[in-house]
Amino acid sequence: MAVLPELGLVRSGDLDEVLAAVDYDHAAYAGGTELVPAMGLGLRRPAAIVDLKRVEALKKIEVDAEVGSVTIGAAVTHRRLSDHPAVREHLPTLAAAASRVGNARVRSTGTVGGNLCFAEPRSDLGCVLVALDATAEVRSTRGARTLSIDELIVGAFETSLEPDEILTAVAVPFEPPGMSYWKLQSYERPTLGVALVVSADQWEVTVGAATERPTRAVLGVGDAAGLAAFVDRLELSDDMTGPPDYKRSVLRAHLQRALGAAL
Amino acid sequence: MTAPVTSTVIRFRVNGHDREMLVPVRLTVAELLRDRLGLTGTKVSCEMQVCGACTVVVDGDPVSSCAALACDLDGTEVLTVEGLAQGRDLHPVQEAFMEANALQCGFCTPGFIMMAVALLDAHPDAGAEDVREWMDGNLCRCTGYAPIETAVTLAASRLTAATAEDGQ
Repeated sequence: MAVLPELGLVRSGDLDEVLAAVDYDHAAYAGGTELVPAMGLGLRRPAAIVDLKRVEALKKIEVDAEVGSVTIGAAVTHRRLSDHPAVREHLPTLAAAASRVGNARVRSTGTVGGNLCFAEPRSDLGCVLVALDATAEVRSTRGARTLSIDELIVGAFETSLEPDEILTAVAVPFEPPGMSYWKLQSYERPTLGVALVVSADQWEVTVGAATERPTRAVLGVGDAAGLAAFVDRLELSDDMTGPPDYKRSVLRAHLQRALGAAL
Repeated sequence: MTAPVTSTVIRFRVNGHDREMLVPVRLTVAELLRDRLGLTGTKVSCEMQVCGACTVVVDGDPVSSCAALACDLDGTEVLTVEGLAQGRDLHPVQEAFMEANALQCGFCTPGFIMMAVALLDAHPDAGAEDVREWMDGNLCRCTGYAPIETAVTLAASRLTAATAEDGQ
């Protein structure tokens, strides 16, 4: 068994104390589903972990009916997200996606914030949240800022967070009508994920998992040529689940079926 | 700033026994169970949260003990495969695995059984879809999975019947 090197722990229920502790060598830690294996493999060697799980504010799920949004704390687990009545009511596609993240163990401990901040491209939540126009609430001892999920995830395993910043919550507008999420998956992570928002005048297509980061196109309804050009332009990954051509064929077939577009 | 500590005291309950231990932060739950408590029924294989051999139940939830840190057990209740049988009476899930021939080499079995226990605890009325959704994160290289699915379904029907009887 890989034995982890000596590791420090900072644990506090106070967000300010947690923020004061986080930096590159003191890694934000919640479910540990990504960080612990990464430490085991020696890919990440923080001197200490800073436990976010005792900060109650990071575990809240709050509905703002006036604005029409749900704010999800970064330390909310996938299981709590998928089981939460308000999430199921206002964000059914996100709830369904969360109920199929990883496996039942990952869903028990893995968190929304960890999923986004690890920025593993083969993720469902990033794709769905970009399609939902969600925003990330970010804090450090220097202050707070808000950015779109699109701005948060800048590349494979890369976010725009500074080393002393943590994601505290994600604010998600209520799901619009005509939304769906479909994925192709053969192992523990998705191979290809496609979020669609179809309205009377627009096709919004967000492709994730096979792309470095969720990639969105907004097209006029029936714009098959524009959709084909978007699909052709996407840079898709080449890995054990298949070459880019295969993933492009699957993507085309799904879009044809879902949108009735001839591609 | 709060200074980091490299070890911490945890108070938790494992298979019905209260424990208080000083553990290094780097210790995983699997290391704690196997190396310090001698509970070697929990197996370790992939160490990537993929295979499920190390599954234990913490506060009702299935957890990969290889990827969870022991310091997080403070205040929790842990159930491992050793905690299922009452004396010589096996847990209904264990009985069902035996009857359905849901194991061959047996290495993955404690993980499968603990996942099934967590599933049936949370969803006593689990249907075929739930069984697949919860069990698909556990790998078995011998059985081909069909007998495992049969075993979990069998255990589910028995537990439901037992609950209905208790209710009468």
